[in-house]
Amino acid sequence: MSLSIIESCVNCFACEPVCPSEAIYEAKPHFLINSKKCTECEGDFADPQCATICPIEGAILNALGEAINPPGSLTGIPPEKMAEAMAELQAH
Amino acid sequence: MELPVLNDQPESKGESGCSAGSCGSTDDQLDHLSDEIREKVQNHPCYSEDAHHYFARMHVAVAPACNIQCHYCNRKYDCANESRPGVVSELLSPQQAVKKTMAVAANIPQMTVLGIAGPGDPLANLERTFETFQTLSRDAPDIKLCVSTNGLALPDAVEELAKHNIDHVTITINCVDPEVGAKIYPWIYWNNRRIKGKKAAKILIKQQQKGLEMLVAKGILVKVNSVMIPGVNDQHLAEVSRIVKEKGAFLHNVMPLIAEAEHGTFYGVMGQRGPTADELQALQDSCSGDMNMMRHCRQCRADAVGMLGEDRGDEFTMDKIEDMDIDYQAAMVKRKVIHQAIEAEMNEKRASKEEHTIALPKLNTRPVLMAVATSGQGVINMHFGHAKEFLIYEASSEGARFISHRKTELYCSGDDSCGEAETALEKNIRTLEGCEVVLCSKIGFEPWEQLEAAGIQPNGEHAMEDIEAAVMAVYLEMAEAGKLDETTQQKRANA
Ligand code: SF4
Ligand code: SF4
Ligand code: SF4
Repeated sequence: MSLSIIESCVNCFACEPVCPSEAIYEAKPHFLINSKKCTECEGDFADPQCATICPIEGAILNALGEAINPPGSLTGIPPEKMAEAMAELQAH
Repeated sequence: MELPVLNDQPESKGESGCSAGSCGSTDDQLDHLSDEIREKVQNHPCYSEDAHHYFARMHVAVAPACNIQCHYCNRKYDCANESRPGVVSELLSPQQAVKKTMAVAANIPQMTVLGIAGPGDPLANLERTFETFQTLSRDAPDIKLCVSTNGLALPDAVEELAKHNIDHVTITINCVDPEVGAKIYPWIYWNNRRIKGKKAAKILIKQQQKGLEMLVAKGILVKVNSVMIPGVNDQHLAEVSRIVKEKGAFLHNVMPLIAEAEHGTFYGVMGQRGPTADELQALQDSCSGDMNMMRHCRQCRADAVGMLGEDRGDEFTMDKIEDMDIDYQAAMVKRKVIHQAIEAEMNEKRASKEEHTIALPKLNTRPVLMAVATSGQGVINMHFGHAKEFLIYEASSEGARFISHRKTELYCSGDDSCGEAETALEKNIRTLEGCEVVLCSKIGFEPWEQLEAAGIQPNGEHAMEDIEAAVMAVYLEMAEAGKLDETTQQKRANA
């Protein structure tokens, strides 16, 4: 079982130093988790550390492939509001 | 009545860091500082209004991670309010950062200060930040180091910071009240947990205040930055100013919120507006009191290089630096000679200003705000249409006082984007709201007419002249023409 990082990752480095298992590494185009090393932080912390510091909604998935920080959960921006703002910008 | 052109106190000493009474650090305020502190400020462009015309700073982006979230920041870009948004900095390893710093210092000898300010929080990246500082304080001891932080990890870092050449730390403090804080910070990462809301704000505030106290106790200068967010903390910032001043912060810098929807920040998307130039100025005035206010801050981006307001980063990209061969020992010798020459020039200029005081007739006139287009050196040397920013001066019977700078959109970019030129010009004119005169080296016919229509008098007659002298000359003309007789108008100068 392991977490994974997907393409919305912005390579901010925040997760790498907090991982107790040294499972996270800098890679292109974005950071990755070595699934053999990731323990989901079990035994070390109550919450998976990478997902706890990551500022980007949706960048880290749990073992089932679900976003641990779904849209709106970190920024407080309601997803429909974000969609609206982006649609408006595209229209320009 | 004899009045100095500058707000120099008659008894002011030539060697203090800054002679414009308007700036972050007035003579008066510098005079009661120890020599040690005065020396720290003397050639720091961000701390001395005077120095920023002569000395340059650079930032290196080595620290991308952050341990909190601010509602004005989208981590996809550089930190929106501590640097220019939307432009991703070139992320450097500590070794690259050291190399770049030494290359810039050798090529731009006016460069005196290296700052680490993000794009994340330098103290959330302790290893990368300290490795950079450690190497530089050893190999390039003539460079001052400074760091900006959100403060969360600050108390634990103070000891280590004090070991290096770090004279200055900037803490961004937007509130001292967790209720307000909860509206600015959605979460923090603390003790391995993500903490939200008021509880998070409370911890952050406590850490910031503790860090501030610890730094002051160690004799490290602290500048406090605050982002002014209308309706959120604008009423609260005077209190913040009072408290941080009481605790010994050296400067308080109130910056306007930048919130455009396209930055994808909470404030941007939710339609939170930034303050108008007038609102910002009113707050800066009300916070100043006996506190040093910094008014020449340019909110530079996290890897800016050069004088404040300019960015020469393109000359020092990593691939260009790899090819440079730097003999830093030789560079240090050269730098020293140039720094001494600049300091001599600054002192001379200061002395000659004290000599050339203009004899003002006894005036009973109201103050006037004037905008000045300049690229530095204290003279009016910018074409109106090329100005990326205007310096705002207040002229009154007391002399000329620097108030702030206001950024503009370039309306004349010279390419074919000129389709929107008119709206951009209108926008520029709105930037100058409250000003009655704009001084520039040259100005086109169309903007001239539009400025006049907006009640702002363009003036190109003082090109290449000293700013304060020109501002006062224009003020005197206005006074003589009887334009300033409404004595009832509230005098900003006395506020
Ligand atoms: S869940 Fe824990 S162990 Fe796995 S990558 Fe994230 S921080 Fe490392
Ligand atoms: S914290 Fe999130 S965005 Fe930052 S590097 Fe890790 S996965 Fe990417
Ligand atoms: S501290 Fe700076 S980098 Fe971190 S979220 Fe706030 S503005 Fe962004």
